[in-house]
Amino acid sequence: MAKLTLDGISRRFGDAVAVDDFTLALEAGEFVSLLGPSGCGKTTTLRMIAGFITPSAGTIEMDGRVLSSPSLSVPPESRRMSMIFQSYAIWPNMTVAQNVGFGLQVRKLPAAEIRRKVDEILDVVRMGELGGRYPAELSGGQQQRVALARAIVIQPEVLLLDEPLSNLDANLREEMRYEIRRLHDAFKITTVYVTHDQAEAMVTSDRIAVMNRGRIEQVDTPFAIYNRPRTRFVAGFIGRTNFLEGTRAGDEIGFAGFAVKAALFPDAPAGGGRVVLAVRPQAIGLARRPPDDANRGWWIEGTVTQRAYLGEVWDYTVAPAGSALTLRVSTPPSVAVEVGEPVWLEIDPAHVALIPS
Amino acid sequence: MRALDPTVLVWLALAAVLIFLVVNPLLRLVLTSFQAADTHAFTVANYIEAYSRPRYIEALRNSLMLGAAVSALTLLFAVPMAWAISRTDMPGKHLIRLGAFGAFVTPPYLGAIGWILLAGPNAGWLNRAWMGLTGAEHGLFDIYSFPGLTFIIAIYSFPYVFIFTSAALEVVSSEMEDAASILGAGVLRTTWKVTLPMVMPAILGGVIVTFLEAIALFGSPALIALPARFNVVTTQLWQFFSYPVKVEVAAAYAMPLLGITVALFWLQSRITRRKGYVALTGKGGARRPIRLGAWRWAMLGYCLLIVSMSVLLPYLALSQAAFARAWGQGVSLANFSLDNFHFILFEHRTAQQSVINSFVYAAWAACLAIGLALAIAYIVTRELLPFAKLLGFVAMAPFVIPGIVLAIGFYAAYAPPPLALYDTAAILVLAFTTRFLPIAYANAAAAMRSFNPEMEEAVRILGGTRLTAIRRVVAPLLKRSLVGAWLLVFIPATRELSAAIFLYGPNTRTMSVMLFDLSEEGNFEHLAALGLLLLVGTVAIVALGYRVIGRDFMVRGGS
Amino acid sequence: MRRTTFGLLAIALLGMTATPARAGLDALAAAASKEGEVTWYVSQTDSATADAAAHAFTGLYPAIKVNVVRTTTGIAYQRLTQDLRENSPHCDVFSTTDLGQYATLKQHGALAAYAPENARGLSPEFQNFDPDGTYYPTYAGMVVIAYNTKKLTADQAPKSWRALADPMWKGKLSLGHPAFSGYVGNWVVELKKLYGWDYFERLARNDPLVSRSIIDTVTVLNSGERVVAVSPSPSALESIDKGNPLAVIYPEEGAILMIAPSAVLASAPHPNAGRLFLEFLLGPAYAEVTVKSRGESLRPDVPALPGFTSFRQVKTVHLPVKDVLDGIPTVTEQWRDTFGG
Repeated sequence: MAKLTLDGISRRFGDAVAVDDFTLALEAGEFVSLLGPSGCGKTTTLRMIAGFITPSAGTIEMDGRVLSSPSLSVPPESRRMSMIFQSYAIWPNMTVAQNVGFGLQVRKLPAAEIRRKVDEILDVVRMGELGGRYPAELSGGQQQRVALARAIVIQPEVLLLDEPLSNLDANLREEMRYEIRRLHDAFKITTVYVTHDQAEAMVTSDRIAVMNRGRIEQVDTPFAIYNRPRTRFVAGFIGRTNFLEGTRAGDEIGFAGFAVKAALFPDAPAGGGRVVLAVRPQAIGLARRPPDDANRGWWIEGTVTQRAYLGEVWDYTVAPAGSALTLRVSTPPSVAVEVGEPVWLEIDPAHVALIPS
Repeated sequence: MRALDPTVLVWLALAAVLIFLVVNPLLRLVLTSFQAADTHAFTVANYIEAYSRPRYIEALRNSLMLGAAVSALTLLFAVPMAWAISRTDMPGKHLIRLGAFGAFVTPPYLGAIGWILLAGPNAGWLNRAWMGLTGAEHGLFDIYSFPGLTFIIAIYSFPYVFIFTSAALEVVSSEMEDAASILGAGVLRTTWKVTLPMVMPAILGGVIVTFLEAIALFGSPALIALPARFNVVTTQLWQFFSYPVKVEVAAAYAMPLLGITVALFWLQSRITRRKGYVALTGKGGARRPIRLGAWRWAMLGYCLLIVSMSVLLPYLALSQAAFARAWGQGVSLANFSLDNFHFILFEHRTAQQSVINSFVYAAWAACLAIGLALAIAYIVTRELLPFAKLLGFVAMAPFVIPGIVLAIGFYAAYAPPPLALYDTAAILVLAFTTRFLPIAYANAAAAMRSFNPEMEEAVRILGGTRLTAIRRVVAPLLKRSLVGAWLLVFIPATRELSAAIFLYGPNTRTMSVMLFDLSEEGNFEHLAALGLLLLVGTVAIVALGYRVIGRDFMVRGGS
Repeated sequence: MRRTTFGLLAIALLGMTATPARAGLDALAAAASKEGEVTWYVSQTDSATADAAAHAFTGLYPAIKVNVVRTTTGIAYQRLTQDLRENSPHCDVFSTTDLGQYATLKQHGALAAYAPENARGLSPEFQNFDPDGTYYPTYAGMVVIAYNTKKLTADQAPKSWRALADPMWKGKLSLGHPAFSGYVGNWVVELKKLYGWDYFERLARNDPLVSRSIIDTVTVLNSGERVVAVSPSPSALESIDKGNPLAVIYPEEGAILMIAPSAVLASAPHPNAGRLFLEFLLGPAYAEVTVKSRGESLRPDVPALPGFTSFRQVKTVHLPVKDVLDGIPTVTEQWRDTFGG
């Protein structure tokens, strides 16, 4: 049985729909991210799981027991979950040790055991020496760790994280991503992680639920989300992408200014009709000389209109011959081409995602 | 529907208390104004009587003129001082701030007594000095006059405008002024055309508060206006309460005061809410003090003048009287005596009792006001009840009711049976609580707004209930701002006269009433002694508060 | 003429009075001690005298505490009527200066009928003050002209009430207010009778300093703020005793004789203590306090201090109850219109 199920969850505020028909099942120990732009409903969903908001429709169940429904809402204090807040919410009037031990105190554990558990968990998050400090004396990263320790030490059934890394600088963020995943693997807690940062989601999650305007666009592993986006939104939100919109005509798919053999895309719908392809900039090869055999694979001739050197890659904007379109292409730093030079782009169909209509 | 949380009942009960304290007296006041005295039948006769004599209309006109004059004078005092402190390199800022604070803490009627000793037309010290120096027949200043009353009210009202203005000026970035000076504007022009207009809403807000205070004040007008032989609304209301008591006519007469206050308060909230100003003055860059050169000594002189007028001179006069056998005899060893203090502290039982009463009632009122305000603020910010926003509005409503009008409403509502609170400490404490609830609520609401709800949610997700969260996290974290708010209620409550004058009974006399009574026999020596005791007590408690909270508590804008 | 009227009344009524409850003082003292306290609303003396009286009373009866509520006459009456209106009685003994108040209170049955033993020891002029035996005279003084001797010689000082209205006294006068002070109320009624209201219009043009209590006029003179005042003789004479530069003039038209009564309230919370206190007010111990504060002596066995001018030695005017009853409220309103407050 799934650990945590959300079935048809919806939430409206007046006329505005924040979450619409959200269905998701988490297995025990699974790490799932809710990823999307601000306003997509991910935080609202998280808070419904926590019990701070009641759904307008649908149910939330954990281990078969109904936690939330329009007519019933188990209060947050009775759900045996844990949450890391965007602001960490570390209480400034208590020491680190008191903060971490709070949940254990509420559960009425004996003082000696609380001390033992608190010391253990502080070691795990590498804050062992700092139990007696007050939050005002800690850095952002350290406060983060305290929040984690406090949440994990009570061994929650589900751990909820609400954009916990958004207040940290870039380097720290990267370090903490791995840290969070490491802790998850050590304790195997079922985790729901809300973020707008794709890199975070990709690094930490077993599965990602991409949300847009209150609805789920796609739930899949990071690999599948990136390489096989099933909607235009997912394709555009995760990483950068080129969209090629064409029409199937006979054995060709025609785009503005160029075409490709339909045989290369067996999954494209037969008969006339719109075809939308998504290609990542890294998946397009850039060559200075025309191919030996233009009919093998998919080659497009074009001219470089813009370029930018980013250190790790060259970023080119290429205008295909006879087309008003522009294609973004990323190449390793060794491939340097001047603006205005003619180039040939090679696209590997294996790396192209067909967006279903 | 959610299962009914038993704490909802607690919140509802608190809401009911609020309505009892605020809505009921006001309602009773309005109802009473339409009631005939004996039969309780509906009538408009009260309104007719209240506006029948020219004297009564005259009093209303005098009050409005007084309010306007006081506001203008206050601007003159407060704005330059606030500007000098917040934006220039004038020396001695700490001293001036302390002086402004001293003015804030001094009961206006005590200051008035000090000024009677200073500027009584023939016997006042300043006048005697003048007559001695120039050989003139008459003194220069006559405190028993309309300008005299305006002056006395203004020197104790200016702290409001000062606080509002300096708080706003502190947030204006120097870049605004730099932009003007790059274009060639000098200091004065920049200040007049750039800086001050930016804080105009704050200044206007302060002015409106000052105006409302001035027309609602009782003590100073009673001391000055009667000998000066003119009447204002508050003294006229007091007359309606002399035998035979005409509560109904008083209620009718009080309505315009209430109406004016509501209208101005609405105006003030419109002005201070204009977003444009907020965006401009927001979190702008750094502040660099303007260099005034030799002018900074002139500014210091001006500020010191104001501080002397409101604090130094009157306190000196009061001290002289407190330690004198007969104040008119001047300062001399023969005239020196500690008898007054001895009498007040050990012999005059009513005075002793009044001291205790004042501090006890004020403490009770402060605790009740803060407790209630915090609970209401919690309900409003966490939206625990469907009509939560309305509660916040009701909590601020007493601000709009002049103290004396509130007292009459309380009298009408609670003095007679069934509650029969006449001559009880309860009616005074309740009236004070209601009167100062808006200050408490404004502070509590600001504190709650700045309090991240995630702090409480963290408690709840870890297994604690809402009440646990309040107990372990909310209350301890708000302690600091609550202590500040407590003092902001306690201090004015100890010296509250306008409300107390109607609600006190033989056993529940407060110090303010006592001081007022002592003034009637011209017993300035005893009065000064009691007044100094009040001041010393207040300063002691504030100093304690300072220690507990730290430097910034009052200087950085209370209300 | 007043004296003979009083004398005749006294003879006529001696032995004809209906006898309300009498009690031996010892039994009364015992019952009063059980009650333990007495509340006294007083305006007819100043605070210091009132406190001295309380002190003397507790000296005689240590078990009884005296709550002195000293205010002006107007405020005292306002408090009392408010108490009665709200059915919240506090006052046991009421001692003010406005006879009209007593007449009204008696009419409403608010006063207790009681014949104190010590009333028999009063001088004849003060006997049978109230035929119904509800209030008794406990203080007497006069309203006179007082002036600051440092600023005026005896020749320059005004000798009559009429002289006060002369423009030469502009900015130099100090008065009380009839709404607060019974002394002033009586004075205004009498002078209105003598000279009409026009007198007060002229007086107002002299810009007097108006205080609430008439006692304040003495401190105003002492401080040198004003030069001439309409003052109560006890306060003025006491102030002279203390060495202040004042002198008193008994005006040509007559000083206003104030005989201020006291009464026990029918609703007194401590009825026995109240009666005992009234006995005290009529007795020799209180008379000593009175004469020390330069009030008249009401008892033949307590002589005035040396150098004291009694009302019997000067021309005085005493208003009948009826004049006071209707007069004071009317003149108060007129005063407010004329003097502006």
